[in-house]
Amino acid sequence: MTAPRRLRKELSDLQDNTLKAFRDIKADDDNLLRWTGLIVPDNPPYNKGAFRIEINFPAEYPFKPPKINFKTRIYHPNIDEKGQVCLPIISTENWKPATRTDQVVQALVDLINDPEPEHPLRAELAEEFLKDRKKFVKNAEDYTKKHSEKRPAD
Amino acid sequence: MADGNGLPTGAASGVMEVGPSVNGAGTASPTPTSSSGAGAGASGSANQGYHQLSVTIEGASLRNNGFLKPNPYVELLIDSKSKRKTDLVKNSYLPKWNEEFTVLITPNSTLHFKVLDHSSFRKDAMLGERVINLAHILQHYNGRCEFLELTIDLFVTSKSDNRQTKSGELVAILNGLKLDMSKLQIQPAGVQQNGNPPVQAVNPSVVSEAAAGHSCTIYGGVRARMRLRSASGNSNGGESRSPLPNGGADHRRSAPAPPVWEQQQQSPNQPQPLRMVNGSGVAVPQTAPYPQQPPAPALARPLTQVYGALPENTPPSGVYLPAGGGAAVAATGVSGPPMEQSGVGLPVSQSTDPQLQTQPADDEPLPAGWEIRLDQYGRRYYVDHNTRSTYWEKPTPLPPGWEIRKDGRGRVYYVDHNTRKTTWQRPNSERLMHFQHWQGQRAHVVSQGNQRYLYSQQQQQPTAVTAQVTQDDEDALGALPDGWEKKIQSDNRVYFVNHKNRTTQWEDPRTQGQEVSLINEGPLPPGWEIRYTAAGERFFVDHNTRRTTFEDPRPGAPKGAKGVYGVPRAYERSFRWKLSQFRYLCQSNALPSHIKITVTRQTLFEDSYHQIMRLPAYELRRRLYIIFRGEEGLDYGGVSREWFFLLSHEVLNPMYCLFEYANKNNYSLQINPASYVNPDHLQYFKFIGRFIAMALYHGRFIYSGFTMPFYKRMLNKKLTIKDIETIDPEFYNSLIWVKDNNIDECGLELWFSVDFEVLGQIIHHELKENGEKERVNEENKEEYITLMTEWRMTRGIEQQTKTFLEGFNEVVPLEWLKYFDERELELILCGMQDVDVEDWQRNTIYRHYNRNSKQVVWFWQFVRETDNEKRARLLQFVTGTCRVPVGGFAELMGSNGPQRFCIEKVGKETWLPRSHTCFNRLDLPPYKSYDQLVEKLTFAIEETEGFCQE
Repeated sequence: MTAPRRLRKELSDLQDNTLKAFRDIKADDDNLLRWTGLIVPDNPPYNKGAFRIEINFPAEYPFKPPKINFKTRIYHPNIDEKGQVCLPIISTENWKPATRTDQVVQALVDLINDPEPEHPLRAELAEEFLKDRKKFVKNAEDYTKKHSEKRPAD
Repeated sequence: MADGNGLPTGAASGVMEVGPSVNGAGTASPTPTSSSGAGAGASGSANQGYHQLSVTIEGASLRNNGFLKPNPYVELLIDSKSKRKTDLVKNSYLPKWNEEFTVLITPNSTLHFKVLDHSSFRKDAMLGERVINLAHILQHYNGRCEFLELTIDLFVTSKSDNRQTKSGELVAILNGLKLDMSKLQIQPAGVQQNGNPPVQAVNPSVVSEAAAGHSCTIYGGVRARMRLRSASGNSNGGESRSPLPNGGADHRRSAPAPPVWEQQQQSPNQPQPLRMVNGSGVAVPQTAPYPQQPPAPALARPLTQVYGALPENTPPSGVYLPAGGGAAVAATGVSGPPMEQSGVGLPVSQSTDPQLQTQPADDEPLPAGWEIRLDQYGRRYYVDHNTRSTYWEKPTPLPPGWEIRKDGRGRVYYVDHNTRKTTWQRPNSERLMHFQHWQGQRAHVVSQGNQRYLYSQQQQQPTAVTAQVTQDDEDALGALPDGWEKKIQSDNRVYFVNHKNRTTQWEDPRTQGQEVSLINEGPLPPGWEIRYTAAGERFFVDHNTRRTTFEDPRPGAPKGAKGVYGVPRAYERSFRWKLSQFRYLCQSNALPSHIKITVTRQTLFEDSYHQIMRLPAYELRRRLYIIFRGEEGLDYGGVSREWFFLLSHEVLNPMYCLFEYANKNNYSLQINPASYVNPDHLQYFKFIGRFIAMALYHGRFIYSGFTMPFYKRMLNKKLTIKDIETIDPEFYNSLIWVKDNNIDECGLELWFSVDFEVLGQIIHHELKENGEKERVNEENKEEYITLMTEWRMTRGIEQQTKTFLEGFNEVVPLEWLKYFDERELELILCGMQDVDVEDWQRNTIYRHYNRNSKQVVWFWQFVRETDNEKRARLLQFVTGTCRVPVGGFAELMGSNGPQRFCIEKVGKETWLPRSHTCFNRLDLPPYKSYDQLVEKLTFAIEETEGFCQE
């Protein structure tokens, strides 16, 4: 089975070479197509917490890209209230079967650390981000403290 | 009910002369082999045994022809033996017996009904008699006699001149017989009739027809209809399947009994038509739970709702309650009272709707008695109140030498005194042009004296001379398709019989519409090479001049002037010519008389399903007479047009889960792999196959179209990787990436095994034996891509596709489609629509051109000046479909969402235009003149995509 075999390999690679910004990676016990993990951003205002994400792989993986969802609420122009994120690397036009999950996660971490207000999912946050950075950072920090998970100790 | 008599000569077969002599007779009094249904083979004899049939003799109405009332009783003989008698009823012309007999019959038995007058003094006198061939009834009702009411005309034979006269009617009910027709050996109708003089009908024209059409015998004095089952009969009604596509949710609710679907899963080896789809050895877990999400809520309509609309249609007697299975419900309409009321002869009300009358007529006024109307989709059509018929095309006056006449029954037909032919169809200029083109070919094949011989003389020689010579071709072409047989006429002319659906044709089905490449294969000139397009069409590469052409450069090859059919090649590739070929096949295999299909709007799907599936498939080639219950509308075209449109809209509705949109941006339809949740899905696919074939056969359009790969599948064309692009661009991109990149170094972890998901279940498939253990690498990736393409295009829908095609093939042999490519198939199935060029131009964007660039100006000039067919094909070339979205060009969709029609400047003037259907984009090179643009564009849209994409 293509997808599980590839995913098992990717999962063990990820678990062996832990990314600093992506921890606690687990697949569901009964479903290798569903992973969860913790995003640990470096940049303010998100460096005050950690964010749980869920990665869903289609049965046709790697012919079809995975989908990513935030389980932890986050104040971010590129992530909407439902936790959906628009990540170019896994879009229909850009997806390549050789793209690995660690690359996808890296792209996601980059996006968290450096928002792209030009392609926002939440226009009002993008506007705030562009026009009143101070206020944005304050709001995001408060929001992070209130909603995010604890960062791992190390 | 109408029978075949009184047709104007040749009318049934249309303008042209009929094909092989079997054509008429072959459909009705086939040779034993042809009626057996090909492939039934050995299993047939098992069914030839005896079966029980219940015959209830209800009553009779006898002609009053004496001064004493008779004392009638009925004798029933099965195959001239085992006599049964009713009691006698004293002094009555309207005796009622209501006596039931259970008799043993074979499918070929005869039932001889004799009504006799009992006399205590002398020999009992014959009041009337009739012999019925059970086979006719079984054929007509597809092996089922359930509450089948027969009204039988009785005849007496005069001793003096041996003439038969009708003496009354007998009503009898046949019940309790259900045979699998596909396994029956029905004997030729004519044989038995001739052995039983009483069957010979009175009307001499019926006698002659009797040999040609069994329906004449059924209808020629024997009328049959299915009665609704009585309420008590419902207790065993479990056998009748629900007429609705059952949603899974519905099944779960019908608590104690396990869902049908699961029952069948436990015995997957039974040859039931309703089985869960296993794909190609795809491992569906046997313990799989019912799918989590309820599929298509619309499916779960409660059955009771179906009957809600019925009561007013039940027969006045009230005896037959609408309680039985759906089959019985649907059957009411076949000859029930409501339909008779709406029968022929009602005056057509002239439309007084001002809106319709103010509809702008093009330029000339319509002939007297004509009217323009709009159907509910806003398409204009023309009503001829003189002849009670409707047309899409604007009427033109009758050509010189033509005359309009009425037959004895008031039906209009047309006489062409020029050719001494008659036809039902009003001749218009286009039809005549086809005809004249057709006639024009006669010169080429004059040695055979038959314009219908389609191959050029060169190629027809080997087949025409002796059968022996054709043996060579035979080997090269491989065996005939299943169910076909090659036969030779008395004059040595070869023809082909399709036993599966009782059609005949001159053309070899193996080569139909295709180039016969076995003949004239000399060496190519130096520097030339033969190649094939992705669509399998042959073309020639001239490496000397670096050009390609479809024309065979070899001397003696059918060049320029003539193609395989002996007509000019350019014309042979034209859509019109192909269409006329197809129409000709339809006409020459038309059957006399008509079939009535009565439906209620609310239960359109179920009603149509039952009536279409109950009839033997070949019956569906009779003229259609569609009735919407409770509506006064005469079907002289308009009603059946509406029926095809509405029903196609209904059955293809993705909510039923049988079909689905190709993807979120492609609204073409394809078979839904999840359709298996409906335990009856295969039956429905068979039905839809029949229905779609009927639309093609009767020249009607359906509401929405299928995906291009689906049409290709109907044409039995190989599906290529490019086909995936239209239905699953993401998958396609990945496959192309694998193709174009070195995959050895990037840890793809691809193996020759794949998964996909249907309704929450992961279905695993091995692309080849032990594919699980074979890794994909640079060496074997071509094979992998081929296997993946094949799998992607068939996964989860193989069984459904097969059943659809079977249903289709029963009505129209798939071989007949071979003239067409997939685009043309869409055109004839969906029809063209008026394209609003203003709207098109308004919603077009340009890249590296602007709206004033001269190529762009020329392009629109071309679009405006060309005809509708070319416009539709241009649209199809660029967007992948000839249909415009409901909201006009502004709503055109690409593979990534809304995507306007786009013209981009690409390449050099020597290039052909190319298209990107995913992006609705036309790459238009900067041509130097209008004429050049027209030439290149015309070439591009008329040739196959594979060629133009190069």
